[in-house]
Amino acid sequence: MAASVQFGEALVLGLASGPACIAACGPVIVPSLLTERAGLQANAQFLLVFLGARLVGYLLFAIGAWELGALASMLPGSRMLMSGVIYVMLACSLIWYAYSARRMCSPSCSGSRLVNIGETKSRGAGGASVLGLLTGFSLCPPFVVAGIRAAQLSSVAQAVLFFSIFFVGTSVWFVPLAGLSCVTRNEAVVTVARIAMVLIAIYYGSMGIVMMLGGKGNGH
Amino acid sequence: MATNVRLPRTVSPAPRTIGRSLLLTSPIIVWSILMFANPNTQGDRRSQIAGAITAVFMIALFFMMMRTGTTYRCRRLFFVSLGILFPVGFIHNVIAARGTMGIPIEEMIAGRTPFCFMPIPLLILPAAFTRTLVFPGSILPNGGMSGGGMAAMVGIWLAITLVIGKGWCSYACFFGGIEEGIAALPKRAKIRKIDVRWRYGPWAVLLAMVLLSLALFEPAYCMWLCPFKAVSEYVAARNTVGLVQNGIFVTLFAGLVIVLPLLTKKRTQCSIFCPFGAFQSIFNKTSIFEVKIDQTRCQPCVLCQNACPNMSLSRESIARGETLMSCMKCGACVDVCPRQAVVWHIKGTEVAVKPERARLMFLYAAWAMAVMFGGSIIAQGLTTILHFLA
Repeated sequence: MAASVQFGEALVLGLASGPACIAACGPVIVPSLLTERAGLQANAQFLLVFLGARLVGYLLFAIGAWELGALASMLPGSRMLMSGVIYVMLACSLIWYAYSARRMCSPSCSGSRLVNIGETKSRGAGGASVLGLLTGFSLCPPFVVAGIRAAQLSSVAQAVLFFSIFFVGTSVWFVPLAGLSCVTRNEAVVTVARIAMVLIAIYYGSMGIVMMLGGKGNGH
Repeated sequence: MATNVRLPRTVSPAPRTIGRSLLLTSPIIVWSILMFANPNTQGDRRSQIAGAITAVFMIALFFMMMRTGTTYRCRRLFFVSLGILFPVGFIHNVIAARGTMGIPIEEMIAGRTPFCFMPIPLLILPAAFTRTLVFPGSILPNGGMSGGGMAAMVGIWLAITLVIGKGWCSYACFFGGIEEGIAALPKRAKIRKIDVRWRYGPWAVLLAMVLLSLALFEPAYCMWLCPFKAVSEYVAARNTVGLVQNGIFVTLFAGLVIVLPLLTKKRTQCSIFCPFGAFQSIFNKTSIFEVKIDQTRCQPCVLCQNACPNMSLSRESIARGETLMSCMKCGACVDVCPRQAVVWHIKGTEVAVKPERARLMFLYAAWAMAVMFGGSIIAQGLTTILHFLA
């Protein structure tokens, strides 16, 4: 009975935190999706890989949270350093992703006519899984709440299960992003998404460096 | 995009008579008097003089537009004046109220940050998700330095935008005039070819800033990227992050508003960076006024493309007989066309049938709003100057 209450709590926590999760992951996932191929299947595939990798990140964090005991709340210095490293890695991944979109685009994007990006081949699951894993590690507020709650559970298995159910709850909110498959992928959309990724990467990179140097970043 | 081609002689429309021009200007004369004969300023002589000068200035410019049949030069004079006088009045008010251009964090927490139109697109998603406005200002005009408050600013923006669409960027924006003035200084552009993909810049900045504003729960553009913080107000730098923010503001202002306009003779901040401009482009779809190209008259000399300060014309769009959706309706392309093939147009009517009527209707709407909104800012700037001269 107590276990079912805990897991119900995890699901409700996930559902309630979904908007905050999608807000936190939005700067990474929206431009990345826009540089992918158009079509529901390709976008759903990207989302599944991204969410799967995010789940792996969650579970690794759950084990850490349980092993170290309320990692997020008890070790602010380490948390800052960890966040800084993750932000810098995220920034590097975004820049790599923006660059690889250019390689896929060329030479068909050199003209101004509408083209289907990645018509001939997909970039595979590598990029989506790296971005998913890193966003899974990111310490967004709902994630910290779930981490603290998981650390209070009696075994690592329970912590992992708690996080898995929390993940399912938050993932529901990502389903509408598949709607981005309707956006035509032409030179304009891909260029806009790529420049946006670089800008977001610069932001994350600078915040990461500030955090690693011991500053508080902006609002973190 | 070549900018220094040899231009065929521009054929200006025949000037109207003085009497007819005055007759066409009369609605603006009445409107200007109503706007600037404000009973609230009766005790303040400087405000009265500033208001009178502004009214005469706005009426004279409109009269010249009616007399010459051209739009761009007179509009530019107004717009540059607005761009120069806005910081004069604003900075004076800010310093009078709190002694510095820097906003201390206490003022932000108290909701006393002045609100301009730039953060409007950044507020939409956080408001939709959480019913919270992520701007440290007040909605109603009770927040000290917030002036009219967010509600008034959004109301003015919406009213102007629904009528003239992206014309906002040529008749109402109090930032764009600075770079338009600077772009007018050199005789020729040093950088003649600009990669057309830079046009996507504003959309990319908009996408990045909207997503970051939602993630960080703050107006990310105002916090990190607004070049005009350099001439309005900025985050009071109390730590390294604050210094970095202010460094970014000054660098972007110097690069996008001074150096690049001098080199390209374009409004580079507007055309390759401003996220609000991208957002505003969407509203060109709601406005009934637009600029079209009469295919029967056009010989694609691309003079219009070269004259456009916002890179809103391309060979493809000219071939389609239209401007790009980023068109600011400044009138440069219409005035420069030697065959009068580029025309003002009202949606739902035939292209190039009575284009002057479409121009007049647009100008009445745009200038009435310019007198009301931009004119009051010009008057405020002039009042400040008179205050210092006295």
